[in-house]
Amino acid sequence: MKTHLVALSLLAAGALLAAPEIPAPCCRPAAPAAGPCCAPETKPAPAPCCVELKAERPLTERSLYQHDAVWTSDAGRPVKLASLRGEPVIVAMFFASCEYACPVLVHDLQRARALLAPEVRAKARVVLVTFDTRRDTPEALRAFRTRFELDSMWVLLRGTETAVQDLAMLLGVKYKLDARGQYAHSNLLTVLNAEGEIVHQHAGLMGDVSEVARKVAALVPVE
Amino acid sequence: MKPFHLLSFLPGPLAVALVAALLPAGAVRGEEAAGLVLIPAGVHEPVLRGQDEPRQVAVAPFLLEARPVTNAEFLAFVRDQPKWRRSRVAPLFADAGYLAHWAGDLELGPKAPAEAPVVRVSWFAARAYAAAKGRRLPTTAEWERAAAAGFRGERGADEPEYRRVALGWLAQPSPDVLPAVGSRRASVHGVHDLLDLVWEWVDDFNTTMTTGESRGDTGLERTLFCGAGAAGAQDLTNYPAFMRAGMRSALRARYVVPNLGFRCALSP
Repeated sequence: MKTHLVALSLLAAGALLAAPEIPAPCCRPAAPAAGPCCAPETKPAPAPCCVELKAERPLTERSLYQHDAVWTSDAGRPVKLASLRGEPVIVAMFFASCEYACPVLVHDLQRARALLAPEVRAKARVVLVTFDTRRDTPEALRAFRTRFELDSMWVLLRGTETAVQDLAMLLGVKYKLDARGQYAHSNLLTVLNAEGEIVHQHAGLMGDVSEVARKVAALVPVE
Repeated sequence: MKPFHLLSFLPGPLAVALVAALLPAGAVRGEEAAGLVLIPAGVHEPVLRGQDEPRQVAVAPFLLEARPVTNAEFLAFVRDQPKWRRSRVAPLFADAGYLAHWAGDLELGPKAPAEAPVVRVSWFAARAYAAAKGRRLPTTAEWERAAAAGFRGERGADEPEYRRVALGWLAQPSPDVLPAVGSRRASVHGVHDLLDLVWEWVDDFNTTMTTGESRGDTGLERTLFCGAGAAGAQDLTNYPAFMRAGMRSALRARYVVPNLGFRCALSP
């Protein structure tokens, strides 16, 4: 039956998504500009190391940082996701008044971080984005930070409903505001590489997060 | 929007004319010419819902395109917005099969007749098309409310012909080359092709789930893909709605599917 075939092909497509992608190595040449054919080459010769070129290199085709909404941090500052470019991050969506799942989700993230070597932990941020555009003011997010003792490597963000929906769509997170004012939502941890590309996703609560930690560690070059 | 509650008693076309006359907003005028039909206030009865969710959800009046978006219309859009052309679209926003049945970036070809519904478009692309037109995608509740209407009255489930059409489509494979939009019998509101042409994107497809922590691996969601899961539903004539819910729960926003298209909506 048609519907079953569709469901199967969708599942297959989902499996493809889960396949890990190779992280972009440092100093990879910038993607060619989509300029007109035969445009004169005006770019200066690449520097020995591309750190200083990073900012001007266009985002990769699969970079989530193409999502250019402006978020607000719990400190009340405007934040673009692209400002996280350069180091791996773990992204999760939550809401601060969540009674059950989100505290567990945060605990899972803390467990994953605890598995990281200190030098990796000092680079890999955790980004928590709230579904709750109404109640999760910067103050509410600050209270959440205090309650769970989240250090400066944790970035807490709120945004517009459109921005939240777009991000959820990009991550494959489902969510719905229920009659009690609680959000039913997927519990999904997403590892992004330095370019903002999805490298790994971990679904569910209280599971084995060691793979999340391994994926993050693999993204931080050994010095 | 008080006037609309009064209008909900009127037949669709008459109400549209009245709305056009009453409302000052230019965007709503002449919606019949713009392919829009007024769907009066109504209710949506979700086939799947959480423990504390109400059985019925009120749906405010809205305007819905009478036909799905065609290949020709989508071609005009990608001419205008090159970043949505097949060769340019970012893989973040559409999977590899995006518009794969078109002959080229700006060429439809034999597999994509101009008047057939556009398919193999992602949610991101559908939404960008709607936004470019000053419209939006309908919500799940809106789409289902419109599709629940029959050919003669508001409750399609009470009409044998409606049930036959809705179930019949599910039982047939989609043809490789889709027929023209508008070729299917219109609902009582004047909306064509809701039951028996293609699946359609809705704005909030990612709200379709059944438990607080659902994601693929929960039993409830898994049963959606299985016909036997419908045995637990209260009303078996809702089987097509059940299948649509299963379809939505399986989608991700960048997926493209050979028989998944869309149409736009507009708030009055």
